[in-house]
Amino acid sequence: MSTDTVNQKSSLQERLGRNWIGIFIFLLVLIFSLSARAFFSVDTAQLIFFNGTEVFLLGIAELFVIITGGIDLSVGFVMGFSTVVASKLIVMFAGLGLPPLASILAGSVATMVIGLLPGLVNGWLVAYLRVPAFIATFSMLGVTHGISELMTQGIPTKNLPSLAGMIGNGSFLYRAPNGALSFFARPQVARGQTVIAILPNMVVFAFFFILIFAFILGRMKFGRHLYAIGGNIDAAIRSGINVKRDLIKAYVISSLFASLAGISYVMKYITGKPDAGANMLLEAIAAVVIGGASMAGGSGTVGRTILGALVIAILETGLRIIGMQTFMTYILVGAILILAVIIDQIFPNRNR
Amino acid sequence: MADQGRQAARPARSLASKGGVASGGAAGGFFQTPFGRFSARNWALIFLILMIVIFSFAGPGFFDIANFQNIIHLNTGTFLLAAAETLVVITGGIDLSIGYVYGLASVLGAKVMQILGAGGMALPAVIALGMLAALLVSILPGLGNGFLITRFKVPPFIATMGMWGICNGVTLFLSDGFMPVMGAPSQINDIGNSYFLYIDPSKSIRFFSKPPYITLTNIRNILRLVPNSLFLTLLVLLILGFVMSRTRFGRHTYAIGGSMDAAVRAGINVDRHLVMIYVISSFVSGVAGLFNLFQTGIGNYTPSGANYELMAVAAVVIGGASLTGGKGRILGTAVGVLVLAVLENGLQIAGISAFYRYIGVGVLLTIAVIIDRAFPDLF
Repeated sequence: MSTDTVNQKSSLQERLGRNWIGIFIFLLVLIFSLSARAFFSVDTAQLIFFNGTEVFLLGIAELFVIITGGIDLSVGFVMGFSTVVASKLIVMFAGLGLPPLASILAGSVATMVIGLLPGLVNGWLVAYLRVPAFIATFSMLGVTHGISELMTQGIPTKNLPSLAGMIGNGSFLYRAPNGALSFFARPQVARGQTVIAILPNMVVFAFFFILIFAFILGRMKFGRHLYAIGGNIDAAIRSGINVKRDLIKAYVISSLFASLAGISYVMKYITGKPDAGANMLLEAIAAVVIGGASMAGGSGTVGRTILGALVIAILETGLRIIGMQTFMTYILVGAILILAVIIDQIFPNRNR
Repeated sequence: MADQGRQAARPARSLASKGGVASGGAAGGFFQTPFGRFSARNWALIFLILMIVIFSFAGPGFFDIANFQNIIHLNTGTFLLAAAETLVVITGGIDLSIGYVYGLASVLGAKVMQILGAGGMALPAVIALGMLAALLVSILPGLGNGFLITRFKVPPFIATMGMWGICNGVTLFLSDGFMPVMGAPSQINDIGNSYFLYIDPSKSIRFFSKPPYITLTNIRNILRLVPNSLFLTLLVLLILGFVMSRTRFGRHTYAIGGSMDAAVRAGINVDRHLVMIYVISSFVSGVAGLFNLFQTGIGNYTPSGANYELMAVAAVVIGGASLTGGKGRILGTAVGVLVLAVLENGLQIAGISAFYRYIGVGVLLTIAVIIDRAFPDLF
């Protein structure tokens, strides 16, 4: 180990450059905390994750495809499609006389299964018919948009069981002022006393799936294959990887996460509408790219994508808390997206 | 992204040569004939004609000069945006910001006219300054895109997507949180919506304005021909078509899209050329947005999920361009826009839910690429 001072200095600089996203998050939190006293609290931290659930899920959806060197433009409208399917199914099951909890569970599981279909078609088009990912997934954007508009006829779904909202906006754990803990149900307390809610259900729901797929991407052979395909598809084919099957899997996972975001939306807002995720595409891709992945493929991790999504989530919630209008969010997300790529070019190898 | 697509295509082709897309296959004989080659190359045009025939039988009032003019008039923005996108796609890039530049120009023009008009300025000056402001500002996103792509080597997809966010934010700021901007002078409507010729069969022919005795209620009694929007569309398409097919600028654009390295070695100033392409793309989108203000009389922001830029890309690809660059024509793009426009209009008139349009766009787009891939040597 040779450690002369010049090398150390440049490596420190490089380390800062590579981990600029951590510094950036720290600065964001610092600025927001200084400008709004209420910002630095456990409640706000939970709110950031709660508001950002869809960004996290769609970021992971986009990540799996971007690693292979592709792009999935359909995530936003697959999410909208899933909100419609999930809400319609839950209403239907409830109408058949199933208890609310059973109909919500059945509807959600069925939506996850139906949510695999767009990805299956995308993957088939990309892998077998050699349609560029941009075109194939844009086609799917149109198809899912059309189908979900046809299903709703322009009217957002109504009459979901109120239990859905309680699950979506509730928390995993509650702590009453007297120290008693209760799961899922908010305890009744006297007026003026505050109940501390810990771990919003939807955040637990999202990170349950994110952790599973983080393991798959980071620790399993399939994950390594995806990086190989994105890095050099010729080499991947020659080394015997079943590229077509793995590409289809990547698009199916993308579409699965988009439908998870749809289910989360239904639980939170107790409605389903085709354009629920219409403006989420920018944020989904931004999360992945801010997280250091290259659009050329072969790089990007779940952890860093979560950090990228966290930047967006902190911005959105923070700007709202300090009373800025939403237009700043769009401008800042766009600017940070561009900045991320420029910084990565100055300090390459961030993702090693 | 462009390189990626090319890279992915090559091995996949060798892989799929056995069982994948039939490249030729049973229909190989047909596609060797001159007519077969023509129909494969111009399938979008043939599809367009077929659609027009089918819709003419399916819906009353479709095959009507008024309806055709309507299709052109309502799709002025799409024509211009798609033409702008064609230039960028030919260089092998993509411009995702045009949809929001469109909204920005419309809202900004309306806002300037609103403020100046309230200040009591003379009408022609209000309109001229509003136009000037909208057009000047619409150059900026293109300049930004061009510099990011050439100077900082940001991939076009990312650079223009960032610019999409920025333009959307500025539009949102100008329109006070997504309210259409009112208060532009109503005279601009006359410019945006009038026709070249007004023919009253019994009495008179007038140019550019309707006869004074005709009111909006009996306007259907006279024949109106050639909307001003058609002039604008033709003007932009002809200029860009001429530039791309007849000038050195156009040849350089194709060269850059065909092979960036070769273009550099041939002595083309690629960086400056690319900046100009993105500026033109952005400027033409600004013109489209401004004309939208003239047509509707209010500054319309681009709604989220409108996907104008993706629709433009769809028209460009249906028109025969390839996202890997080096290929595409303005005329082809115009056919692509017409395919999408006639599909929407025809479905509406036939009484079929217009939502099928979204599905139709998706299916057509995929067909376009599969045909393109199946007959690589035809184009």
